[in-house]
Amino acid sequence: MSSILYILNENLEPLISRNIRALPSTDLPIAQFKKLYHPGSPPVIRGNHDTFEYMYQGFSYVYIRRDSLFFVSLVDNTVDIMETLHYLEQFYLLLKNYFTVKVLDKNLILDNPILVMELLDESIDFGFIQVTDAGLIKDYIRVKTNVPEIDEKNKRLQLGGVKNQSEFDDEDDMFGSESDEGRKKVQKQRRKLKHRHKSTTKRELGHLTKKVVQTWKRDQKKKGTFGNNDNDHDGHIEGGDNDDELDDTFMNSDIAKTTVMAISWRTKGIHYAKNEFYLDVVEKIEYYMDYDSQTVRKNTIHGQIVCKSFLSGMPELHVSINKILNKDKQFLSSCKFHQCVSLESIEEGKEITFIPPDGDFILCSYELKRHVRDQPIIKLNKFELKQKLNKFKLQIHCSVESHFKPTNVTSKLNLQIPLKQLFQKYQIDLSKNIKSKCDEGKVLFNVSDDFLLWEIGAMKGGHGENQLSMVVEFALFNQEEYDRKQEELRTSMNPPPLVEGIKLEEIYQQIHGDDHDVTKETPAQDKRELEKTQLLHINFEIPYSTLSGINIEYLKIEEPQLQYQSFPWVRYKAINDEEYAYAI
Amino acid sequence: MSDQRIFTRYKANEIRSELQIVDVKKIKSGVAKKKNALRKIIANLTLGNYSEMLLLLPEILKFWKIEDDMEVKRICHEYIRTIGSIKPRSTVESLPFILNDLRSRNEKVQIMALETLVSIPFSKFSEEAFDFIIHLTNKKTVPEQLMKNAIYSLVQLDDYDHERVMSLLNLLYDIVNHQIEKPTIQIAALNALCMIHDVDGNSQPVHISVETAFNILELLPTLNEWDSATLLEILPITVVPQTHDNAYDMIDMVLPHLQHVNSAVSLSALKMVLYLLNYIEEVNQTIIKRLSNSVIALLEKPAELQFLVLRNVILLLLSRDQSLLKFDVPYFFIEYNDPIYIKDTKLECLYLLSNEGTLPQILDELEEHATDIDIQMSRKAVRAIGNLAVKLGESSAGKCVDILLHLLEFGVDYVIQEIISVFRNILRKYPKDFKNDVKTLVKYVDYAQDTESRNAMIWIITHYSDILPDYLTLFETFCTNVLNESPEVQFSVLTSSIKFFVRYPSIETEKLCICLLRECTEDANNPDLRSRAFMYWRLLSLAREDGSNVTNEILKDIVDGELPKIELNTKLDPIVLEELELNVGSITSIYLKPTSQIFRMSSLKSLPNSPVLNSDKSLLNVIDDLRSIGISNSNDRLNGKNHNSNKNNNPVVHTMSDFDKPAEKVNHLKGSRKSSISSPSKLARKPSMLMRKLTLKKKF
Repeated sequence: MSSILYILNENLEPLISRNIRALPSTDLPIAQFKKLYHPGSPPVIRGNHDTFEYMYQGFSYVYIRRDSLFFVSLVDNTVDIMETLHYLEQFYLLLKNYFTVKVLDKNLILDNPILVMELLDESIDFGFIQVTDAGLIKDYIRVKTNVPEIDEKNKRLQLGGVKNQSEFDDEDDMFGSESDEGRKKVQKQRRKLKHRHKSTTKRELGHLTKKVVQTWKRDQKKKGTFGNNDNDHDGHIEGGDNDDELDDTFMNSDIAKTTVMAISWRTKGIHYAKNEFYLDVVEKIEYYMDYDSQTVRKNTIHGQIVCKSFLSGMPELHVSINKILNKDKQFLSSCKFHQCVSLESIEEGKEITFIPPDGDFILCSYELKRHVRDQPIIKLNKFELKQKLNKFKLQIHCSVESHFKPTNVTSKLNLQIPLKQLFQKYQIDLSKNIKSKCDEGKVLFNVSDDFLLWEIGAMKGGHGENQLSMVVEFALFNQEEYDRKQEELRTSMNPPPLVEGIKLEEIYQQIHGDDHDVTKETPAQDKRELEKTQLLHINFEIPYSTLSGINIEYLKIEEPQLQYQSFPWVRYKAINDEEYAYAI
Repeated sequence: MSDQRIFTRYKANEIRSELQIVDVKKIKSGVAKKKNALRKIIANLTLGNYSEMLLLLPEILKFWKIEDDMEVKRICHEYIRTIGSIKPRSTVESLPFILNDLRSRNEKVQIMALETLVSIPFSKFSEEAFDFIIHLTNKKTVPEQLMKNAIYSLVQLDDYDHERVMSLLNLLYDIVNHQIEKPTIQIAALNALCMIHDVDGNSQPVHISVETAFNILELLPTLNEWDSATLLEILPITVVPQTHDNAYDMIDMVLPHLQHVNSAVSLSALKMVLYLLNYIEEVNQTIIKRLSNSVIALLEKPAELQFLVLRNVILLLLSRDQSLLKFDVPYFFIEYNDPIYIKDTKLECLYLLSNEGTLPQILDELEEHATDIDIQMSRKAVRAIGNLAVKLGESSAGKCVDILLHLLEFGVDYVIQEIISVFRNILRKYPKDFKNDVKTLVKYVDYAQDTESRNAMIWIITHYSDILPDYLTLFETFCTNVLNESPEVQFSVLTSSIKFFVRYPSIETEKLCICLLRECTEDANNPDLRSRAFMYWRLLSLAREDGSNVTNEILKDIVDGELPKIELNTKLDPIVLEELELNVGSITSIYLKPTSQIFRMSSLKSLPNSPVLNSDKSLLNVIDDLRSIGISNSNDRLNGKNHNSNKNNNPVVHTMSDFDKPAEKVNHLKGSRKSSISSPSKLARKPSMLMRKLTLKKKF
């Protein structure tokens, strides 16, 4: 049982402490913790016998470290550590959800002590964990969060990003990095793709904001549902941000009871004008291959079924998944379900039955290991360095092939080819043009981070018959020619030829001027670090496709009392995980 | 953003003046300012500014009287709770207000008031709390949340007034047995019962009948995640299946929860199933698969949770024979971004999982880590390879030794030092098999710099002097600067020189021996070293004397006797294991020691008796098809064997600081002596420790 809960900053000073079991002091234990903790110590630390006051004998510290904060629980010996650890984790997520930020920091906590206190109170009673579901608590505790002001648009973006993390994250990131790169990058291509690129970003931007606005509206709608319970609040819905302030003390009286009811994850009295249910199957694919030795180190699918529910009343949903129907053993054993799913229904092997919580939730997550010989969804089938030393040229040949249903098309496909090694090994003359040629898309050169980005965009599926290839040619430094030119410059009367455009070699010098010294000074670089710089990452997104072949057979929504018309939406998407790479 | 920072130390007067601003015109902003001031009070309490804040009590009470705002109420309660737990008496004035809140119509306020009452360790407050709880139980309809809080507050009140709580326990039993209340309240009652009984040393642990247990288990699908976790956590021990069918049915009810997304639920479910397995005759292969899979799935969680799961994997691997859980070795391979504590634990798991079949895989992995850039990691990997060689049979040891020799060529000093140290263990176990490799090893004599590897090197040179022609020159490198060595090395140098002299009496050895004895007796500061040197000296001179009955043979026997074979023992005492298994997921599972050793006051958990309790864990059969009642006799014989090997072990005494080391021990020379408390067990399995045991009476 947790006796005291703390949130500490990175120097282990308490920001918030909650004395649950009325112990005489909250400072003493934390001073002790400071002594016992050292970086890398396991998440459970035993209180010291000898120096500890009698009162604190038999206590241990359980902590997790997230962002720059420590979440510490002082526990006695009767505790189930797993419960405590999981609670700390959940509490962290709860806070993040409340502040709608991606990274917590100490200032957020310091600005909202009462809110954090209240959240602690609500989620844990006398050391017994009650409820940690953000959706529920959010209805219960309606204090305005005191977050730093950002301009409205940013806030919306951020809000959208957090709300629909699974869906938007990648888009968001891609968008962000693209515009970033846009600034740094010098584009080199033969076709007129520059123009096309611009238009796509614009389209994406429009797309994104549209979605964000949608979610924003949905939020409003949700607020509206509470307003309906209490007519006074109807007027404030349009007020946007400000109605939070007025909503301060208001709470849905039904919710107070929800936590003790049989269905603790859904409140009564939810109403939507349009009843919709979104179900997204997202599979992240992790793949790692050593290209030289052709050994596959990782080949796994991390799948999630992400749902968004905007349904009135107490609907019961039936979802049938082909994997469960076929009793796929690997799937069933690795699948973890949300608490709303009645696990008995899966035992029977037909369908998943559940009453969904309101808003976003992850229905289930699973992990499937693929056989080493299974073809990766996007395969790098050629990567070669050809050096023509007599011509002072260095060519990179690269080609990929697709291995998924021929009817599908990637909506995004980027190859990131590392060049750091190359630059260290060869003397590349950047003052001469880099030439590139590719079957599809365009090739970009990132000077600051030393990689080539091959943006393919749409690529058709197939089983190996669909291949795209690309060649990039770098000029190597030619001492003879250089000398001759220098000589010419000195002797001839003509002014030096005008160089148009950006001087790549100068930019490169600027950025990498300092690094070179650093790398020389520390020759004993980490082997892994080195390996990291040699990874060819592939980023892709394939809509309407799953690698595991998971399929939603049907999705039925039943609400016996309200009997409304409802709209279920099912989508599939396969994307790359953080690690989808070839070591070259 | 607040214009004024809340989290800074304030004087009582500053806040008081802020609270007293009365501005009739701007009521709204005035309220906001006051609220802000109140927030500052709480912030200051968190900062530990108690004495200043104590002065503000009258102001707080004034606010309490007039305000209805929830946040202000919350702040008032928070204030009283914090002050109250430090200076209970000073808060008596607030009692009427709290009681007033307790009578409020608002359930939330009532709960808040009750919590405040309970959290102040002062008789007046707890009296009121008791009265209120009794009053609640007499009422017919009580809001559930309030009831739940009231039940849990009993646990807290138990700290102040045990007798009175005991008299109320019947109420809780009624709730549990009669099932009239909402599910979550039943769970709360059951949980509270268990907590109160746990703290009380005298009373028996709670028991509930099988029938009640089934009724409660029926509720499982309707409970919220934390309640399910609590329930599954409590049920082992509290319920005792009376027939095999009871146990089977319970397992069936619990099994689906292994797949819960909340890791606390799935681990508790695992614990429950493990407990029930003691009450059935045979277990289906699919159940075992599901158990193993649920554990593997838990390994996907964040590092901290993963750590706990891994500790429990160790426990499970130790406690049952291989048959119960099946893990694939690659799940335990170390990732480079794992925190150090995960790496350690994974290494331990790999060590326990190793057998003839998995060895090549594991060795491949370990070899890779041995050349890791992380010094600690590579040392640990080398050590693990050495331990594997000692644990497994001769043929496997050969493979391990090959890898170690290969690593020697790697040429990094700390790797070589570690290899020298583990090689000694290997040579102790297989004195003859790797004789030829000693010569290769001795080439690296200059690398031995730290105490342990120096010690090991000296031992190896001494022991294999018959095959090393230049043993004396090798040995002399250690003798030149004896006085600056660490005590352990000094001792082994001294002992080895005597051994050489006794073994090959010649002028060189005598000279070396006398020289060392003189140095140790005359120049050494360490009294233990001095007295040991004197002891040897006397022994030698006694042997020289004519007519004494100490012959050269006897002398040789004393100084250079046979050493017992080293053995690594991974088995723990069955009683300890039984208790550990009942503590899956708790703190005990992290330290892998019985609770009584970690917490002095706690009582021992053991499997409650029942007609169907398996007397021995290994009697559990694993069958492939669906349940069949007949017991296959063929397995019995096999299991009987395993059983014997378990029973004979003495209870292993572990020390507190060594939870991160594998639970192993060296068979002691004099069986009864236990390893001294202060020495970490790492030492206990090294011969150097043995050497100390033979020669040392006191530790330093």
